[in-house]
Amino acid sequence: MSTNGHGSGVARPGFRTLTAGLLLAAAAWGLYSLDSQIQVFGFGASGPDARSFPRLALWLLAAVVALRLVLSLRAEDFPLGNPVRLGRVLTVTASSAAALWAMPQVGFFFGAAGAGIVVALMLGERRPLLLVLPLIVAVVVTFGGRHGLSIPLP
Amino acid sequence: MLVDAFLELLNLWVLIAALVGIVSGIIIGAIPGLGPTMAIALLIPVTFSMQPIPAIILLLGVYQGAIFGGSISAVLLNVPGTPSSAATAIDGFAMARRGEGGRALRFALYASVVGNIFSCLVLMALAEPLARFALDFGPAEMAMLMLFALLVIVLFGGGSKLDALIMVLVGACAGIVGLDPISGTPRFTFGSFAFENGFQLIPVLIGLFAMSEVLLQAFDRETLVGDVEVPPLKSSVVRFVELWRMRMTLFLSSLIGTFVGILPGIGSTVPAFMSYSLARSRSADPDAFGRGAPEGVAAPEAANNAVTGGALVPTLALGIPGDAVTAVILGAFMLHGLAPGPFLFRDHGLEVYAIFEALLLSSIPTVILGLLFFRVAIHVTRIQPRHLLPAITILAIFGAFSVNNSLFDVWVMLGAGVLGFLSRRANFPLPPLLIGLILGAPFEQSLRQALLTSGGGYGIFVGSPITIGLVALTVLSLAISLFFSLRKPRI
Repeated sequence: MSTNGHGSGVARPGFRTLTAGLLLAAAAWGLYSLDSQIQVFGFGASGPDARSFPRLALWLLAAVVALRLVLSLRAEDFPLGNPVRLGRVLTVTASSAAALWAMPQVGFFFGAAGAGIVVALMLGERRPLLLVLPLIVAVVVTFGGRHGLSIPLP
Repeated sequence: MLVDAFLELLNLWVLIAALVGIVSGIIIGAIPGLGPTMAIALLIPVTFSMQPIPAIILLLGVYQGAIFGGSISAVLLNVPGTPSSAATAIDGFAMARRGEGGRALRFALYASVVGNIFSCLVLMALAEPLARFALDFGPAEMAMLMLFALLVIVLFGGGSKLDALIMVLVGACAGIVGLDPISGTPRFTFGSFAFENGFQLIPVLIGLFAMSEVLLQAFDRETLVGDVEVPPLKSSVVRFVELWRMRMTLFLSSLIGTFVGILPGIGSTVPAFMSYSLARSRSADPDAFGRGAPEGVAAPEAANNAVTGGALVPTLALGIPGDAVTAVILGAFMLHGLAPGPFLFRDHGLEVYAIFEALLLSSIPTVILGLLFFRVAIHVTRIQPRHLLPAITILAIFGAFSVNNSLFDVWVMLGAGVLGFLSRRANFPLPPLLIGLILGAPFEQSLRQALLTSGGGYGIFVGSPITIGLVALTVLSLAISLFFSLRKPRI
C-alpha cells in the first residue's frame, strides 16, 4: 500500500503529499485573500475581530501541514498508482459535476440517473440490463422525493 | 417525565419507525464498506417529513441494526462491516469455521444488547445532570470545554496526532465560511448568498462518508467480499447460563465502551480491542482466544455497542459529538429542531426522554429481528459495489439537495466527497475533521464573547472554578499524552 524513498533518498510523492500540498495551497490562499474576503468594521471594541480566528486557524493549518510535508519527505507515502485508476475517480467526479451543472436545465431525474450510470460504468458494469438499475433508482428517488416527501427537486 | 415520555412511544408510527430502522440497519450494516455513519447520513432526508420522535428513533434503529449487521460479515466471512467489528472477527470467524457461526452471532447479538442497555442507563443517569450543570457555563467555560474536547480528539483519537490536528484545523477552517458569528460580516463568501449559510453539516457528512466511498471504489474497483465460502450455519442456541458465566466480561466491556465513548473522538474500535484484551487477560483459558472463544466475540460486541450511549452523553448534554456516528445523530437532532446542548433537556425534555426509552426498549426488537434476519443478511453481503454504489450516488445527490432544497449543498457534498477520498487514501482521519467543523464556529463565538466580556483580558479563562478545572484537565491530558509518547519504545 505504501512506497518509500528507495534507501536514503527522498520518498516518491503519493496521496499524503498530494493532500497535504493541496491543503497547504488552500491555507496559503486563505491567508493571502483574508483581508479582501473579510471586511472588518471597527466599533472601538477591544479583543479579536472577524479576521482574528480565521488568521490564527489558517496560520496553524499552514504550519502543521508544512510540518507534515517535511516529515513526509523521507517517510512512506501511499502511491498514486496507475493513472487509469485516478482517471476513473476524475471521470466520476467530472460526471457528477456535469450532472449538477446541467440539473437546472435537464432536471433531477436525468442528472442523477446520468451520474449513476457513469458510476456503474466506472465500477466495471458492462451488462446493459444492469445499467438500467440506476435509472430505476433515479425514478424511485425522484417520484418519492417529489410526491412522498414534497421536495421541489429541479 | 419518564411516564409521559413512555406514553409518547405508544404510537404506531414509533413502532414502525423502530422496526424499519433496525431491519434497514441490519441489512445495510451487513454490507462491508457501508457503515452506520453512511447509512444514517443517507437516511436523514427520509425523515424530513416525520415527527421528531419517530424520525430519531428510526435513525437510532438504523444505528443499532447496523452495528449488529457489521458483525454478521465479520463472523461469517471474516470481513468486518465496520472497523469496530474487526475484534469480533478474530474469534467469531474461528467459531464459524468450526460450524458455530450461528452461536457466534447469537453471542454477538446478546452482548450487543447488554452493551446497549448498560450505556442507555448511563446516558439516562448522566446526560441531564451534566446538561443542568452546563447551564451555568458562560462563554469562557464553553470555550475552554470545546478546546479540551478538540485537544482530546487530537491526543487520544488514535493514529498520528499531527494528522488529527491537521484534520481538526481543516474542519475549523471550513467552519469559518459564512457570516461572522459576532458581527455578521461575510467571510470567504465570494459575494455569494449561498455561501453565507456556511457549509451545512448534512451535505458535508454525506460527502465525507458516502460520496468518498464511491470515489474510493472507483479507484480500487475491489470486490468487497469476493468468493469467500460462507461456513455452514447449524441450528444453535445460547443458554442464559452461558451468558451469566461471562457476566463480568459483559459488564466490564460495557463499562469500557460507555466511558471511552464519553471521551470525544476515540470511536468504537479502540474500546472493542481494549475489551477483547481485558477479557483475554481475565480468562482462565487465555489460549482459547483467537481460536473461537465465545467471550472473544461477546466482549468487543458489548463494548462497541456501549460506545454510542456514552458518546451521546456529551453530544446531547453539551453539543460536543463523541465520534462520527454521534456527529451524524447530532445533525439529525438539529434538523428536527432539537438543538443538542445544555438547553435541550429544559426545552425538549419529553422528546429526549422518549428517545432514550425507545433506545432502551428497542433492544427487544433488535434481538428478535437480529435472529430472524441474519440468514437473509448473509446474502446481502454478496452485493457487488457496481450494483450498489450508483444508487448511493443518486441518494447522496438527493440527500444533499433536500437539506435546503439547494444545489449549492450538492456542490458542497461533492467537494466534501473529493476531500474525503483524498483524506482516506492518505490515511488522514475523518472524525477529527467533522468534529472540528461542528465545534470550530461555536468555539470561536465563545472565545470572542468571553474576550468581549473581559475587555480583551485573558484572565477570564482562569477566572472561575469551572474554567480552572477545565484548564487543569487540558494540562493533564497533554501531560498524559506526553508521558505515553515518551514511554513508547522507538524502533
